[in-house]
Amino acid sequence: MVFNRDAMTRISTRKVLSIQSHVVHGYVGNKAATFPLQYQGWDVDALNTVQFSNHPGYGHFTGFRYDAGHLCEILEQGLAKSLEIQYDAVLMGYLPGVESLRKIGEAVGEMSARDPDLKWVLDPVLGDNGKLYVSGENVDAYKQILRHNKIHLVTPNQFEMETLTGVKIQDLESLKSSIEQFQKLYPRVNKIVVTSLELKNGYICACCDGGKIQYASVPRINAHFSGTGDLFSALLLNALVPPAGQTPPTLAQALLLVISLVDLILRRTLELSLSKDDVLPVTINDLKLIQCRDLLVGKHQNKELDAQIRLVDLN
Amino acid sequence: MRLLATQSHVVHGYVGNKAATFPLQCLGWDVDCCNSVQFSNHTGYGLDKVRGNATTESQLDNTLQGVIQNFPHDYDALLSGYLPHAESIRLMGCHYAEYKRQNPHALWLLDPVMGDEGELYVSESVVPEYKRLIFGPDVGIDIITPNQFELELLHGSPVTTLSELNDVLHGMHRFIPIIVVSSLDTRLFNDPNNIFIAASQAGKPPVILRVPLIDSYFTGIGDIFSALLIDRIYKQRDELNLVSCVNDTLNVVQDVLKVTRDHSPRGVTMGSTLMKESELKIIECRDLYEGPGEEQGLQFKYKVLY
Repeated sequence: MVFNRDAMTRISTRKVLSIQSHVVHGYVGNKAATFPLQYQGWDVDALNTVQFSNHPGYGHFTGFRYDAGHLCEILEQGLAKSLEIQYDAVLMGYLPGVESLRKIGEAVGEMSARDPDLKWVLDPVLGDNGKLYVSGENVDAYKQILRHNKIHLVTPNQFEMETLTGVKIQDLESLKSSIEQFQKLYPRVNKIVVTSLELKNGYICACCDGGKIQYASVPRINAHFSGTGDLFSALLLNALVPPAGQTPPTLAQALLLVISLVDLILRRTLELSLSKDDVLPVTINDLKLIQCRDLLVGKHQNKELDAQIRLVDLN
Repeated sequence: MRLLATQSHVVHGYVGNKAATFPLQCLGWDVDCCNSVQFSNHTGYGLDKVRGNATTESQLDNTLQGVIQNFPHDYDALLSGYLPHAESIRLMGCHYAEYKRQNPHALWLLDPVMGDEGELYVSESVVPEYKRLIFGPDVGIDIITPNQFELELLHGSPVTTLSELNDVLHGMHRFIPIIVVSSLDTRLFNDPNNIFIAASQAGKPPVILRVPLIDSYFTGIGDIFSALLIDRIYKQRDELNLVSCVNDTLNVVQDVLKVTRDHSPRGVTMGSTLMKESELKIIECRDLYEGPGEEQGLQFKYKVLY
């Protein structure tokens, strides 16, 4: 429940286990996901897979990874067995080691098999812009997880989608083939959102639910932001799993809401980060999530974008 | 506003950094958390139910070193709470003191977490390490928030009268400008139905505040208290009224405790299976952290020690 001093409105708190990286400074991984989810009424149990001083985009960073034994002990012995916590969802992002990935994948798989209502959101963090930033073994481990588990939503980017399906995506036709191939290879995955695609005909986002494939053109901001993918998956989870008693929206509706909100957050981040000498495109290291609290609770509409954005059927 | 916080992390529940971070973020702070441990949950569930590890000394050293090196002037405030070993306290102290030397305007609050009500819950070697930091030359700590037991450990002997308390605080002010004793021994007041807090600023007589006891099992209150207090003190730093900062902090903490009590099962004790239903309702209290501000006056102010 969220208690509002003025209105005393009460909304039931949802529970998520979020398994991702932790950076002391900045907003990627769990630092990008936790605050937006908490501010939208989620108890976020953050299991950190690493603790780094900052994300690698800064060039230099320090810190360490948690090993598979540590992570599994907390998850299996602690949260699942000893505390018996009932989660509404598990959000899984960057896991650096292949052993951790396999073991955590198995442990979450067991939780999900025990609890048919648990919504597993998996962001298969493999790489971006044509470059893998994990080992080939990690790719295989993700494929295994996707093949054998009931996953509510998977959120690859273009490169990750290509890597998981073996289909190079250049246009709408190959996007469609890639999504169809994904469904063939991983039939237990319920919903797919391909979060950022750069095709001949522009920047788009695509989704697939119950066999229906749709896409929308998304506005392009002339800057690179770290952490956007992690924020995007967290916000999709929030949109797709509403508080008890509320009907979940369709994937398409949820996606439009999230595109619209992320666009507002990125624009504000850019506005607050640019100094007058900056020349676009710029690289923005840290999302201004704390300064977007009003946006996270829907105080402002993205009127311009909402008036234009349309989902187009691809099949 | 950006704050660096070094204390514990629990995956489930709200103590340490998990209790401090969200309220501070709601108040507009970018909170950079350096976690001194990653545990499944806090020890109130029973010691046998705590899984996970402390961050090793070299990991902590390495992480903080990267943070200070990459962001040498980013922090307006420094906060530290539970650290498991003497060595991790020493390392935090070194990095924070170095930062403070380069950025004398940053505000540093140190909560010397050692134990409560006569019971030490860290190793004994931690005590001299905190003493070295608090009474050391040129360390740069602005605020400490011990409870009575921790104050006595730092002082080296029991504090049994208000006049002794006055003397102890006066003596410590030679090293630390602001001391807030988060819970005084109720025997000093012969009143078990209230909690007494001392707010003391160098050069001024200490003020005792009194709040009604909310009887339930709560863990993490000290952590949310120090987080809200550093926010209040930072925002008033040019013209500080410490009693008003503490009063306002207590208002919010009381609200959080009431919401928590009203939505938790009764009769929860250490090790109880109901513990997971009794965590502080940090998320649910999202709109309460701003507090009532000036409108409440100083309703908790009880007594000035002359």
